[in-house]
Amino acid sequence: MRDWKSEVRLRLRHLEIDAARHAQILEEVSGHLADRHRSLLARGMSAEAADQAVLQELSDSDALTREITRITGRGDTEPPVAGGVPSRRAVESWLQDVRYGARLLRRSPGFTAVAAITLALGVGANTAIFTVVNAIVLRPLPFSEPNRLVRIWESNPEKGWPQFSASHPTYLDWRARAQSFERLAAQTSAGFTLTSGGDAQIVRGLAVTTDLLPVLAVNPELGRNFTSEEDHPGGRTNVTIVTHRFWEQKLASNPSVLGTAITLDGQPYEIIGVLPKSFGWGPATLDLLVPLAPNPARARGDHRLLVAGRLRPGVSLKQAQSEMDGIAAQIARQYPDSNSGWGIRMLTFYDWIVPAETRQSLLIFMGAVGLVLLIACGNVASLMLARTSARQKELSVRVALGAQRSRIIRQLLVESVLVALIGGVLGFAAAWVSMRWLTAAAPTTVGLPRLNELSVDVRVFWFALAAALGAGVLFGLLPAIQASRPQVSDTLKETTRGGTTGHRGHRVRAALIVGEVALSVALLIGAGLLIRSFVRVQQVQPGLQVDGLVTMRVNLPRTTYNDGAKSRAFYDRLLPQLAALPGVQAVGTSSGVPLTPGSTSTELKFPGRILPAGVPASADWRLVSPGYFHTLGIPLRGRDFDSRDAPPPQPNTAPPPSIIISEAFARRYWPNEDALGKTVVITSFGPRVQTVVGVAGDVRSFGLDVEAGPMVYASAQAYSGWNPMGLVVRSAQEPESRVADVRSVIRQIDPQVPIYDVTLLSDALSDSLGARRFNMYLLGSFAAIAATLAFVGLFGVLAYLVSQRTRDIGIRLALGAGPADVFKLIVGQGMLLALIGAVLGVGGALAAARVMKSLLFSVDPRDPLTFAVVPLVLLTVAVLACYLPARRALRVDPLIALRAE
Amino acid sequence: MKYIDRILDRELKKGSAELLVLSLVEHRARHGYEISQVIEDRSEGAVRFRVASLYPLLYRLEKRGWISGRWVEKPGQRRRRYYRITPQGRKVLARQRSGWERFVAAVNRIAEV
Repeated sequence: MRDWKSEVRLRLRHLEIDAARHAQILEEVSGHLADRHRSLLARGMSAEAADQAVLQELSDSDALTREITRITGRGDTEPPVAGGVPSRRAVESWLQDVRYGARLLRRSPGFTAVAAITLALGVGANTAIFTVVNAIVLRPLPFSEPNRLVRIWESNPEKGWPQFSASHPTYLDWRARAQSFERLAAQTSAGFTLTSGGDAQIVRGLAVTTDLLPVLAVNPELGRNFTSEEDHPGGRTNVTIVTHRFWEQKLASNPSVLGTAITLDGQPYEIIGVLPKSFGWGPATLDLLVPLAPNPARARGDHRLLVAGRLRPGVSLKQAQSEMDGIAAQIARQYPDSNSGWGIRMLTFYDWIVPAETRQSLLIFMGAVGLVLLIACGNVASLMLARTSARQKELSVRVALGAQRSRIIRQLLVESVLVALIGGVLGFAAAWVSMRWLTAAAPTTVGLPRLNELSVDVRVFWFALAAALGAGVLFGLLPAIQASRPQVSDTLKETTRGGTTGHRGHRVRAALIVGEVALSVALLIGAGLLIRSFVRVQQVQPGLQVDGLVTMRVNLPRTTYNDGAKSRAFYDRLLPQLAALPGVQAVGTSSGVPLTPGSTSTELKFPGRILPAGVPASADWRLVSPGYFHTLGIPLRGRDFDSRDAPPPQPNTAPPPSIIISEAFARRYWPNEDALGKTVVITSFGPRVQTVVGVAGDVRSFGLDVEAGPMVYASAQAYSGWNPMGLVVRSAQEPESRVADVRSVIRQIDPQVPIYDVTLLSDALSDSLGARRFNMYLLGSFAAIAATLAFVGLFGVLAYLVSQRTRDIGIRLALGAGPADVFKLIVGQGMLLALIGAVLGVGGALAAARVMKSLLFSVDPRDPLTFAVVPLVLLTVAVLACYLPARRALRVDPLIALRAE
Repeated sequence: MKYIDRILDRELKKGSAELLVLSLVEHRARHGYEISQVIEDRSEGAVRFRVASLYPLLYRLEKRGWISGRWVEKPGQRRRRYYRITPQGRKVLARQRSGWERFVAAVNRIAEV
């Protein structure tokens, strides 16, 4: 039988309708012919005659084509077949727009590339910051039902300690009395020397109560949690649960490790469990847990426990807080000596781990990148405007021929969304790469929590997509509306004349430029303030000479060094040997070396004195060896500690009561007096009255941007036994090369003593500014991008203006205007826009000053210098952006310009 | 066929084609070939629609919303497009029937057929 379909296809090949409809008509008509052929054969017609008769049906195929095209082919839609599903023709016409848009973009690769890269900058920066915000602020904490987890502190605001660790007996009281919690857990850090399996190594542990794992809702991957017998003073406490990391690295992932023992501080500890890999608590380098065995007999003034609890379902933080307030009041009545003035402070884990300041600074960055994206949109919008006005004639012809306005807007919007999507993809890729970089580049020093959780997830993807599409609509809508609006006849006339574009187009572009300049001035001022802050911080004197100093921690195993005398003997032997090493200039020890983690505070009592209201009676304390101040280069009045402060230890005799205080201590408690020879009771050093024998310079122990508070020092020889101690070595050059020597000296004295946390103090100082530096770089680069975009935008608009006004300029020149007049015209126009923008930007920055305050250091958020210099710099840049197009305008030859008509 | 007959045939067909198709799909759905066959059979060969005139007619009626087409597959046959009158088409059909009636009556009276 004949193939009717191809006969029909041949005859209907000129049918101009969409492909799907074409196929249907083909099928229907050829089916008809086949039916007809069959029935002719059935009536006894010969095959040949039947063929002829059927072909007759198609004889007037031109009319058929024409008629069908007329009926179905004119952009009209087929009636919907069922329900409200968009018909195929509607989809087809969208696809047509997309294909047309893509073709246009391909045809002008320069425009497409500039627009897409501009957007990629905006979308990329936004996506990168959103990735951080998402990981830190938006994602739930990696614990089960994290909103029920709270951190609990003892609190003594009067003494200046709003959040203080808890003591053993107070924690036990809380745990026994509080009803608001399912469990209350306590922990403290515990370092051990691991000696089983090779060299002495320091391992990082946490001493935790048996409540910790239930509070965190974590079950060991292998084995079990501690029992209450193991978590009890005098109980079987030599048991440990190791982390997954430790199990993999030190125990070779041995599945039958339970019941075996490791040697910690010379004691065998039985491994009773292995934590799951996902255990997200404590430092990333955590090795193991041991029982805390909280002891009710310990001093209530000895605050060293971190307490965390899981609220019972349905109990709010407020309810729990009021219950705990009551309990704290009971305890204070029972133990007035140690606990009066002490309350309880609680925060949810979220507020504790992601503090409000972090959230605020992230908000500032989110706002800043938002501005960058806006500026990018402004630039692309202005590009689009220029492009659409070049296409104005085409569009006007379409309008004149009856194209609907909505259809034209749609066409232009489709184009801008296409550009936005290209920019979005590029930006997303850039963000992904920069996240990899950020996670790799020393994440601990940027001062943000949860950075180990940083990752690009689905939410980030949606954000990037939304940002790109939003940007596409934002920068596309204005030019599209603009382009579809003008009176057809006007534009046709105007454009054929080849003169200036409509005033409205200029006004929109001018507004865009003003906005861009304003936003970038605001951003630059923000960045300028941060840079000023950073410079200020770096000018701060740390109070010690960091160059040439290396510090490390020395951990004396508790089993061997179980009393103060043994510790003292160790250091009395060690320090002279180290000082004698070649290249070593001085050595000292301290219970807390500046710029390294850890801090100890004490209450103060001034017998016979009442402190003025608002002066908290508290200070930080450190134990230091003789020579410590000299080693660190801290100036000292009075005298240093020496053998007078630490006579050979005799049982039951307290050390002589001498202390050295810091200048801040002296200023606070003995203003306008000489503190030398004054007396004070340092609660942490015992009830005796102490005499000030020296006054040391203030040291910024917690970073350059943290004011040095009052500090009191006692002799480490007198109060020996603090462990681990910080060892500080000053050497003439390459302090890090001394570490090996130090290690070998220590090994000679006692091979069981490990040293760890080796740090150059200059690095520690630099790291303490990490967050500030990070903020500065971040906002600085946003501002740089913004300023560049604004420059390019201004330049582009003016260049466009000049090219549009070539004829106008030619006429002016022909009529006798001098180059200076033309120059003034162009530069003046550009600078007027820049000036308005700069004024608005300064206003915006003033309005935002309050928000910036939290990020600044000893710089007023309305710093006059920054507010004057930044707009000036930007205006100078603007002059350059205006100058180049103006110079081109000067080269206009009036003859050529007019002949171009 | 003589020239005058062809003209007459074309004009008559043009005037009546919509009425014919609408009445054929009034009570049951029919496909294009079936419609052309029924017209040819019932008119005993006097009226015949070729493909070139039938399908544009069907598509025009469909576009106006008077009939609606639907692909139907029956076992053992290839699928065919069946057309059925729509509620709007019914109203049009009623008007066209009475119009045709009046027209034919008028022609008869004038021409004294």
